[in-house]
Amino acid sequence: MSSELVIKNLHANIGDKEILKGVNLTVKPGTIHAIMGPNGSGKSTLSNTIMGHPSYTVTAGEVWYKGQNILELEVDQRAKLGMFLAFQYPVSIPGVTVANFMRAAVNGHRAVEGKDTRETQIPMPQFRKEIREKMAALGVDEAFARRYLNDGFSGGEKKRIEILQMSMLKPSMAIMDETDSGLDIDALKVVSQGVNVLVQANSEMGVLVITHYQRLLNYIKPHVVSVMMEGRIVREGGPELALELEERGYDFIREEVFGNGN
Amino acid sequence: MATKLPAIASLSAADVLVANEPAWLQTWRQAGLAAFNTLEMPYWRRTDLTAFGFADMQLSADSGTFRIGADAPPGVVVMPMHLAVHEHVTLMQANLGAAVAVNVSKYAALNAATWRDGWFVYVPKNLETTLPLHLIQGFGAGNTLMSRNLVVLERGARLTLVEQLMGNGGPYSNVVTELILGDGATLKYTGMQTWGSAVHHVGHVVAKVGNDATIEWSAINTGALHAHIEAETNLIGNGSRVDWMAATVASDGQRLLTAPWLRHVGRSTEAHMDFKTVVKGSGYATFDGMIKIEGGSTDTITRLEEHALHLSPQARSDSIPGLKIDTNNVQKAGHASTSGEVDDEQLFYMQARGISKSEAVHMIVMGFFEPVLDRIPLESLREQVTAAIAARI
Repeated sequence: MSSELVIKNLHANIGDKEILKGVNLTVKPGTIHAIMGPNGSGKSTLSNTIMGHPSYTVTAGEVWYKGQNILELEVDQRAKLGMFLAFQYPVSIPGVTVANFMRAAVNGHRAVEGKDTRETQIPMPQFRKEIREKMAALGVDEAFARRYLNDGFSGGEKKRIEILQMSMLKPSMAIMDETDSGLDIDALKVVSQGVNVLVQANSEMGVLVITHYQRLLNYIKPHVVSVMMEGRIVREGGPELALELEERGYDFIREEVFGNGN
Repeated sequence: MATKLPAIASLSAADVLVANEPAWLQTWRQAGLAAFNTLEMPYWRRTDLTAFGFADMQLSADSGTFRIGADAPPGVVVMPMHLAVHEHVTLMQANLGAAVAVNVSKYAALNAATWRDGWFVYVPKNLETTLPLHLIQGFGAGNTLMSRNLVVLERGARLTLVEQLMGNGGPYSNVVTELILGDGATLKYTGMQTWGSAVHHVGHVVAKVGNDATIEWSAINTGALHAHIEAETNLIGNGSRVDWMAATVASDGQRLLTAPWLRHVGRSTEAHMDFKTVVKGSGYATFDGMIKIEGGSTDTITRLEEHALHLSPQARSDSIPGLKIDTNNVQKAGHASTSGEVDDEQLFYMQARGISKSEAVHMIVMGFFEPVLDRIPLESLREQVTAAIAARI
């Protein structure tokens, strides 16, 4: 079963407005694939649509992963297939602690349809050990385990918790949606390190890094860089493309693709 | 032996006499009866009065069942009211009706005239206990519960109390609880209305809080078919405080109303109210609240939050908050209110982590109630209530 992520001619709307206008993209296993693009190009819509956000309506196209068109799956089934979305704006869940949330997520991944969840859930000592280790590695204070998820957390804290979740869930396909936004350089290093450790541990893991700036790509080094504009992928290249964009901005590509008059 | 039970619609002076009761109490009951006979039916904006009509209501021979769920803390007086009226005459005369007067409403007057039993709790001066006291009331099918409870904390006393109504009796229950806090006293009070699904419940729960005294009040309101609860905190003393939380769950044809009143009377009083409601199925819950800051209450801090979650389209919740300020020296007065379905963003986030939709809804709702449930002092009871709520959503 192929663990390529293959996006074919994907169109998606918010309300009546078409945001994705035919995205074609393949993320190969073991590949870090960056998508860069100016604000409003549809990058976040793409990541949310792949994961199944209810505000976006798919009007055409397919997204294949592990032999399934995942657009036909519930959001949690996509996650259980190995997909993970690191949110640009992680949501707070008052009254649910980080530890309890993580345990529910881990157990959700381990649940097997038709089987008593008491048989499949992670034993508490193992869970405690794992979360403690991962928190230490990400420099997250242990006290956070008892705090309500993302409730009153700073931007940096939320992003670390996203990576903590990712390292607990060990996805085979991770989508990082503007993970660098709101991070200072120290937090950026910690977060990138967390991603790199996972990638090193799983040679088949695919990562889709969505970012506006090249800065993040100094720390999470992409194999492939795609440029998104006006709801489509308009360029694909190697890591050098990111550097070129950093230097020249997006306008030169805009002119090449849409012409001078646009 | 089938004796005819007195009908509430036509109570006589003889009907409210209880054998061997002291004369002062007989007089007090007659005052209750007089008030009951003269007061108009209340104006209840959201409660269906026909569910509490007097035509079908009779007095019971059975006064209800009263038990203690956990050992009483040492030094605290805990006894049935029918005994306390003989053994603690001075305390009774000083405090019975001090928070809920006989003529405050028709239903309170009925209770004053006809109550049969209840709990009397007395914590002497400066006695501090940490062991929670768990008091449970129930009643049998076909009976009308008329219960009267009086909790008195003397100066500097400290008590953790759970008062629970449980079981499927009735259908009619009329419960009055008075909470009297002396200066510097601290009461952690959990009031649990967990009646069975056939009960029609009218409750009056009223606290009077002395100087620098604090009440931490947690209300759980999940039982009954119809419930109308008038809850009141009177911050009489200077520096008195209330930290008031409530969790209400209404589903399957339930109509539950809570009418919390908060009165700031003393100087530098402080109140935080956080009322949470979940409605499901054809459930209907109402928050009909009022905060009143009286003329002499200066440097007041008051904060009200009320939030309602709707788990199904036909479920309904009403919120009628009121604020009346009769002083021009309020330090802070705030109000926040939300009502709606479970947040899509939260659901998406949780599902994106592999949590199923039903589990996600469950966690969001339990998280919503967590701050209230977390305050239930007995772990076994907390687990029991949590499981009962979880089973409902």
